Amino acid sequence: MALKRLKFTRDSCIGCQLCAQACSAVHEGEFSPSKARLSIESYYTSDGELKYKESYCILCGMCKRQCPFGAISLDDKLTLNLDLCTGCGVCAEVCPKKVIKIREEKAILCDTCDGDPSCVKICPHNALKYE
Amino acid sequence: MFGYQNKVLRIDLTRKGTTMEPLNMGWAEKYIGGKGLAIKYLYEELKPGIDPLSPDNKLLLMSGPLTGTPVPCSGKLAVAAKSPATGTILDCSIGGHIALKVKYAGYDAIIFEGKLSKPGYVLIQNDKIEFKDAGDLWGKGSHEVEGILVEKYGHEASVLSIGPAGENLVTMSCINSDYYRQAGRGGIGAVMGSKNVKAIVVIGTGGVKVDKIVDVTNRLTEILRTDTTSDDNMFIYDCGTTAFLEACNDGGILPKNNFSDTTDEEWTKYNGDVLLASKVGKRGCGSCGLGCGNFIKIGDAVCEGPEYESIAVAGPNAGISDPESIVKANQVADDMGLDTISAGDTIIYAMEMTEKGIHDFGIKFGDKEKYIEYLKLMARREGVGADLALGVRALAAKYGGEDFAMHVKGLEYPQYEPRGSWGMSLAYAVSDRGACHMRAYAPNEEVFAASIPPYTAEGKGEMVYNLAIYNAVKFSMVICDFWPLSLERMTEIMTMITGKEWTEAEMNDVAKRVINIARAFNQREGFNRKDDTMPKRLANEALKSGAAAGQKIPQEAFEDMLDQYYAVLGWSKEGMVPDTILCQL
Repeated sequence: MALKRLKFTRDSCIGCQLCAQACSAVHEGEFSPSKARLSIESYYTSDGELKYKESYCILCGMCKRQCPFGAISLDDKLTLNLDLCTGCGVCAEVCPKKVIKIREEKAILCDTCDGDPSCVKICPHNALKYE
Repeated sequence: MFGYQNKVLRIDLTRKGTTMEPLNMGWAEKYIGGKGLAIKYLYEELKPGIDPLSPDNKLLLMSGPLTGTPVPCSGKLAVAAKSPATGTILDCSIGGHIALKVKYAGYDAIIFEGKLSKPGYVLIQNDKIEFKDAGDLWGKGSHEVEGILVEKYGHEASVLSIGPAGENLVTMSCINSDYYRQAGRGGIGAVMGSKNVKAIVVIGTGGVKVDKIVDVTNRLTEILRTDTTSDDNMFIYDCGTTAFLEACNDGGILPKNNFSDTTDEEWTKYNGDVLLASKVGKRGCGSCGLGCGNFIKIGDAVCEGPEYESIAVAGPNAGISDPESIVKANQVADDMGLDTISAGDTIIYAMEMTEKGIHDFGIKFGDKEKYIEYLKLMARREGVGADLALGVRALAAKYGGEDFAMHVKGLEYPQYEPRGSWGMSLAYAVSDRGACHMRAYAPNEEVFAASIPPYTAEGKGEMVYNLAIYNAVKFSMVICDFWPLSLERMTEIMTMITGKEWTEAEMNDVAKRVINIARAFNQREGFNRKDDTMPKRLANEALKSGAAAGQKIPQEAFEDMLDQYYAVLGWSKEGMVPDTILCQL
């Protein structure tokens, strides 16, 4: 079976950031988009444009391949071995979508909520899909 | 209680100092947050009789316990002060993302006191507060200012800003955020301008905690799916408030030529179908779920919206049917920092004055280029704009036209014609901030749902009361108008987020308190029945066209509605809140 991934459609996004609130609730125990494992924003510019800035895990596996300590594995989701992770930050540097953050000397990865992503479930107009 | 940050940031602009204090939780239990709690704070902290444009006034940003959580449609912030337009209490509600940033910065409320010695802006980065010079921003449009500040501080920053109108203390100036969202009415932008504050920049990277957060998130997801975005509500996503144009035109409450009549044969030239054909994007507020914002471009005119009010006033009520002109008027008003309703009403009053030969303001119905030019002049108080910036009430006192001066307490009329929805004349009259359609929305019952006969005074006191208490508690939870959630749902959400068991009866008690304390504030300022008025046109002139043709509202019917409303609330015949209620607030 093909690997299921997060997919994002700009035209269906209203920029509400419910996705990031749900993510941080499930992973961090608080509603705090700045601690979420994805960030999807839309914003206007002063020259009259509507723009999007999106950062979510596409399961490309770059972090796994580049991790110097073999701390990250990828099957149907990313898994971090906390004992092996030193928080060196290589994964965050190589992440092409700039999803990974380092906090308290550990990598913070999107684990797609073990195959049932809360960000997808709450997305009101299905801009986020998992397929 | 969960949901609150239990912290108020107090900013002394005069001394450039800040203090933090706990939120008054006793008051929060009685008023929840948002509208109600903001009014309670101002009732306790503002001395009666102060000049709203003096340093004695306070500008208060108030979130609520739901702000920053995934409760759908909870991304709004109450912005409150004493109104320079009316002298009443004034609470506005602004969308975008600023409410969430205030909460994530760690505050339930931010209170601005005093006045900066010269133009500046305030930068709030979590618990770090800085006072910055705004000499190079002063005079600039709101859109340009927001662009400069976001460029400087990044997209994590949310900005509240005023345009030239707010700087020039025009009492119909608004506060903008996210370019196209406003705390619009009652001159709230002039209060900010009077404090020499061009902008407020907020960066908040904290969070909000609740008990059983995963269960709460799952339940809110369910509510979002089954209630908020149910088929009945999806017209908001599909059309935004452009949907009201057809309903109002059909119902005979879409005003034309300064409320001289209703129903516009030209309406298909600028209706939702036309505007939405030029839609280039969609956007909602933080935590929204519905997404009412349509980003529209026609020619070089750009705005998110235009909303029903802005379309109606710059369209049929001004004798204009060009959609590009309507969008441009919205864009210019936002950038200049003017309330589209009050500024538009003032221009259309001037149009009628000129047409009737009472006073020549140099503009007539249909003058679409001048409509836009006049907005700029009003914001800068230049030329004829110096007069027009005074608003309808002051102009009528100066030049006449009292019969068609469409305002209550000095706040200009929204775009729902009461002769086709009699309850609306009462709603405008008793609204706590002057003529406002957001305090009790009668057309829902009288026109759209047609559940209550529109052309009678009978039962209107109770109808407006029921609509008003619903909105009072909803806006104190700071939930957006566009989600018509039930009281049962509100109660469930309050219990879920705060962790304290709420009952529907307690929610109703909050609502009544909110209406009473707003009235008590105004009563202390000298307002009573004599100020709960209806423009003379509605009593004297019958509508000529549309579904409500032939209708006018006899003055005695209006007085009857006032009697009913006061009686339901237990107020005196003079509209005064009795001591027995005052002592419980």
